[in-house]
Amino acid sequence: MFEPEDETVERLIQHLRRPVAMDAGLDARVMREIAQASSPRRRVWPLPWSVAAAAAVLGAVLVARPWARNATSRADTLQFVLIAPQAASVSLVGDFNDWDPARSPMQTAHGIWATALRLAPGRYRYAFLVNGVEWRADPGAPAAKDDEFGTPSSVVTVGGRGS
Amino acid sequence: MIIAALLLVTQVVAQDPRLERLDPDTRSAVAAVADSANGVGLPVEPIIQRALEGATKGASGARIVAAVRRLAVDLGTARLALGTSASAPELEAAVAALRAGATPQVLAHLRDVRRPPLTMALSVLADLVASGVPADSAGAAVLALAPQARDADLVDFRRAVERDIALGAPPGAATSVRLNAGALDVSSGSPSSGNPARPRRP
Repeated sequence: MFEPEDETVERLIQHLRRPVAMDAGLDARVMREIAQASSPRRRVWPLPWSVAAAAAVLGAVLVARPWARNATSRADTLQFVLIAPQAASVSLVGDFNDWDPARSPMQTAHGIWATALRLAPGRYRYAFLVNGVEWRADPGAPAAKDDEFGTPSSVVTVGGRGS
Repeated sequence: MIIAALLLVTQVVAQDPRLERLDPDTRSAVAAVADSANGVGLPVEPIIQRALEGATKGASGARIVAAVRRLAVDLGTARLALGTSASAPELEAAVAALRAGATPQVLAHLRDVRRPPLTMALSVLADLVASGVPADSAGAAVLALAPQARDADLVDFRRAVERDIALGAPPGAATSVRLNAGALDVSSGSPSSGNPARPRRP
């Protein structure tokens, strides 16, 4: 059942394989164009200028210190999760949102409350505020031992390299 | 001119709208502490955040002021140990390490053996102590790992120790066993160090 299509393909191949008549001077013209296009345009800068340009680039790099900016601006996305089947609302509150419960309300699916935040490198204290009244630490994170306000908190650290 | 600049900073801190969540007396006292810290080159934001934490948690004004004063002092101690080039996140992490029981000498030693930033190394030290590891053991472990380990390696180490403790191992023993067993393959990296696009858990 594929024979008719095979014949059509074969005819197309035969057609494409026929030699194409080309202008006898084509090769010469092409080679002339290539020769013109590839002829190097050399511009020799006087040595002091090239040294000054290199110094300027080096100076700009040293002032901007892109490696330092990279080290300190490497943000990380973290997922915060709390299992609280009985909760009506849960907010993530911490150093990253001015301890404002309205800033990071968490979403729930079957009692699993979650949210993700992108944080710059640093050490952050945080806690979950359940139903607007109950403070809970994150059971999956280190505890903040220096809690001076009588409620549990956790800490998360975003490092500057390889974290 | 310097006095004018300091006065300007004072006004900026005092007028920070976030501090309006504090009562007027507490706000004034917190602004004064923040101004003093700023005047000697310490970061202000951790002080503001500590005050806001107290306000949100319903702490009394006196308790909030005491907390921010203590924090300002500890930030100063941390900077003495780490040097004036230490960043704000490093100083915050150093405060946690100091409060966990690490000595300023350990912090200074860490600064000497590890390329900055030191934030993660300091935090891991503090978190190990929070897990029950004696401060000297935690300090020794972090100092041993610090020259080679990446931040992710340090986190993996902390998690491994915490896991062992949760399974019943004595904290000090868990730390030394993990350290000696070469639980970290710091030269080749660990599998979990990886995908920056995927959110990780704290």
